[in-house]
Amino acid sequence: MLGLQIVLRSCRAAQKGSIRKISALYITGDKANENYATLQPYLDFAGTFDEAASLEQSIASRGLDISVESVFRKYQKYQTHHEQLQRVVGEREAVTKNLKEVTKKGGSELQIEELKEQGKTLRNDLKALKQALYPIEDDFIHDFLHLPNRLHAQCPTGDREVLLYRHSLPGSTSNVPSHLERKDLIHFVDNNRYYMMEQAAHFDVNAMQSLGRYFVTKGDFVQTANPDFVRCVLLEANATPLADYHMVREEHLQNKINTAYLTGGAAFESYLGAMTKLCVYPSVLPLRYVCCGRSYNRAEAQHYGPTPSLYTATQTNAVQSFVATQTADEANAQLEHILSLAIDFYKALDVPFRIVYAPAASLTPSESLRAVIEVYAPSLQRYVCVGRISNYGDFVSKRILFSTRREKHYDFLHLVGGPVLYTTRLIAALLEHNIRLVDCKLVGASSSGGKPTMEQDLQQFKDLFT
Amino acid sequence: MKLLTNAQKLLLLLRRQRSSRTTTVQAHDPSAAGQPALTSAQLDELEKNVELRHHRNNVPLIRKLIEASVRGDRSVEQQLEEELGQLPNATHPRLLDYGDQPRELAQHVQREMPLKPKEFSELARALNLYRMDHLGNYTGHKSYYLTGHLATLEQAIIQYALQSVTKHGFRLISVPDILPKEVIESCGMRTEGERTQVYKLDTGECLSGTSEMALAGFFANKVLPEEELPLKVTAVSRCYRAETSGLQEEKGIYRVHQFTKVEMFAICTPTQSEAELEEFKNIEVDLFKQLGINFRLLDMPPCELGSPAYQKYDIEAWMPGRQMWGEISSCSNCTDYQAKRLAVKYLRASDGQVQHAHTINGTATAIPRLLIALLESYQKGDSVEIPTVLRPFMDGQEFIARSKRIPETKLVKFIKAA
Repeated sequence: MLGLQIVLRSCRAAQKGSIRKISALYITGDKANENYATLQPYLDFAGTFDEAASLEQSIASRGLDISVESVFRKYQKYQTHHEQLQRVVGEREAVTKNLKEVTKKGGSELQIEELKEQGKTLRNDLKALKQALYPIEDDFIHDFLHLPNRLHAQCPTGDREVLLYRHSLPGSTSNVPSHLERKDLIHFVDNNRYYMMEQAAHFDVNAMQSLGRYFVTKGDFVQTANPDFVRCVLLEANATPLADYHMVREEHLQNKINTAYLTGGAAFESYLGAMTKLCVYPSVLPLRYVCCGRSYNRAEAQHYGPTPSLYTATQTNAVQSFVATQTADEANAQLEHILSLAIDFYKALDVPFRIVYAPAASLTPSESLRAVIEVYAPSLQRYVCVGRISNYGDFVSKRILFSTRREKHYDFLHLVGGPVLYTTRLIAALLEHNIRLVDCKLVGASSSGGKPTMEQDLQQFKDLFT
Repeated sequence: MKLLTNAQKLLLLLRRQRSSRTTTVQAHDPSAAGQPALTSAQLDELEKNVELRHHRNNVPLIRKLIEASVRGDRSVEQQLEEELGQLPNATHPRLLDYGDQPRELAQHVQREMPLKPKEFSELARALNLYRMDHLGNYTGHKSYYLTGHLATLEQAIIQYALQSVTKHGFRLISVPDILPKEVIESCGMRTEGERTQVYKLDTGECLSGTSEMALAGFFANKVLPEEELPLKVTAVSRCYRAETSGLQEEKGIYRVHQFTKVEMFAICTPTQSEAELEEFKNIEVDLFKQLGINFRLLDMPPCELGSPAYQKYDIEAWMPGRQMWGEISSCSNCTDYQAKRLAVKYLRASDGQVQHAHTINGTATAIPRLLIALLESYQKGDSVEIPTVLRPFMDGQEFIARSKRIPETKLVKFIKAA
């Protein structure tokens, strides 16, 4: 219980730490000289404030220190100023139009001068109003962007996780030696640097490839390979705490506030790059993607310390899932689909694991629900996360403009996804369970890959003569 | 030719020279007895090597620093050490008359090229297999996504390469991609300066440009028994390179900041290293022969060796869509250049002496350029044939055709709130 409270506190701290004074996601006009806006997020004011009760409940359950009422007041102030500005814009346009007509009809000079003066005054008013609006807009929009997603009905609002699935119970043996004792297989330097040898190294590659393949063949997913850097604008769109990833120092960075972070290709955020501003035909939905690659999340490690080990390492091979659907119901079904494929994989390994819904307080602001796949780590005597599938609703899609066209409307897509495997932690747990990695059954493993086919034999025979 | 090319040895010589005036040569290091001081002739030879390799000529500076050091100015020793550390490795005598051009050793023509070949980007985009446009603001300059069967092909190539090299006795190691800058610099890569190819993180650590760096770091400060050599390892890793290029022939995924590579690395004795390099070369040639692409083997001239290599082979594949040869693989013998910087040693069986080892590195497969060569060579109208050796890793699939399940890149500028 104490452990959970620490985890929750660190999550909240991380979330709070991520609040920046300046955002790459929304740049007001006064700052547009030095920084350019790369994306104009869809800001759904009406939809957000219409159901304030569910938003307040989400904020309270997540343990966030945000007052909806205060944000709403800022919204009203912003609206008032914005409307005033729009009025002046309208008046100025009318004067311009009038001036054109009067000039065309050969109106008196006095009349023309009067209109010109009026136009000048309005131009100055507009300039003054804009200057006055920038800080109001800044203040409101940034608070607005920090409002969290609503919670999914299944998300636990209490302090505890809710068990969804469990496979074999952990043994009662205490004082199980750490996987780091296996010096023949693991050379651990620090959280950023470790080496795995022999069967551990083979499992590291094979498990990732097999599960990726299983998602393609059994789950009808499309495989991708993604970039490893994600810029700040997307981390903000996804409400990812910036401290989760290492920042990359780039020479000649044009947009100083849109810096790059090392997420790894098998990170959810990496998929967002390909989805930003993308409008897809409904025929490709549900869009199911899976990717094998690296993940470099350094925040999760804090949960499994203080002793550094493979459980706390930043780098891991991972399998990442990403699904976009048109409706919330389809998103729910896809989350189940991903979990059922993951269950097949972990069941075949016959390692004690469970799937839980994480409590609201541990979610990032964009998640509405998170299912966590956890294997039992004997040396820590607790479950550790080897995957986590989240439902984001259309919260993130609105921010990155990921949509589909329905008649004349844009429907923002519902996103579901997350890593289904972190190989490093799984290897650590398997070793502590005394499971021989070479004996592990990997669903999705290619049956023919390991043995040469007749064609290969023939080729090798031919090669003898070339 | 015996060039003294490493910092430790030269500095040691200087220190001994100084100490020999006041004390006797230390008994535990018999090699120092009677060791000549660093002569002007040796410096001349170092300078000749630097010029041959088109390396920054810091020998005049080294001369001055040595003079100052000999005069007893100890404050210059660190600078001298740094400058000596930046000298390149010695050069294989075979290469001395190569000039600036590589020598083509063999050309392997294995298939007829398509008549009107498309370039990779055009081909992959038409088949919906790749995206590289409008990503700079989101995932960075020259970032790319491989989609559908092209992503599956990447994994198939990794499996194929691993299967091949492990058959040759290479042991797989999982390696870190985030390394301290000292490890990277010890491999002969500079991490500072305007034109550095190395990415740095907020922690001050660096991103590895090739797993050779992590592997070399793994064996740092180790003394291996001679019986274990040659010790051959392989790794699959992400490679990060800050280099960029605006050249038309390097467009698309030809030169990118991030890619996956299967690397081979070996630690061996000085007597084994030349033969070991030949084995690396033969494995690489065999890998690409099996893949059925057209390629040539080049023996690289001194100016193309970089700092650490004593000799180096490159393999260039014919990329019919680009109508050019593109480097897809290489292997180098770094002799004791990296080993001395990282203190990788072995225990000589004959006399029990601890000696510096030699290191060899080579590319088994680097994904993006190999994908270019494969797709451009294997294109057949509206599809791409999968090389026979890769089919077992792709459930026997023979062709890659256009996928309708992957959305086309149709972008909106903004969506107005209702």
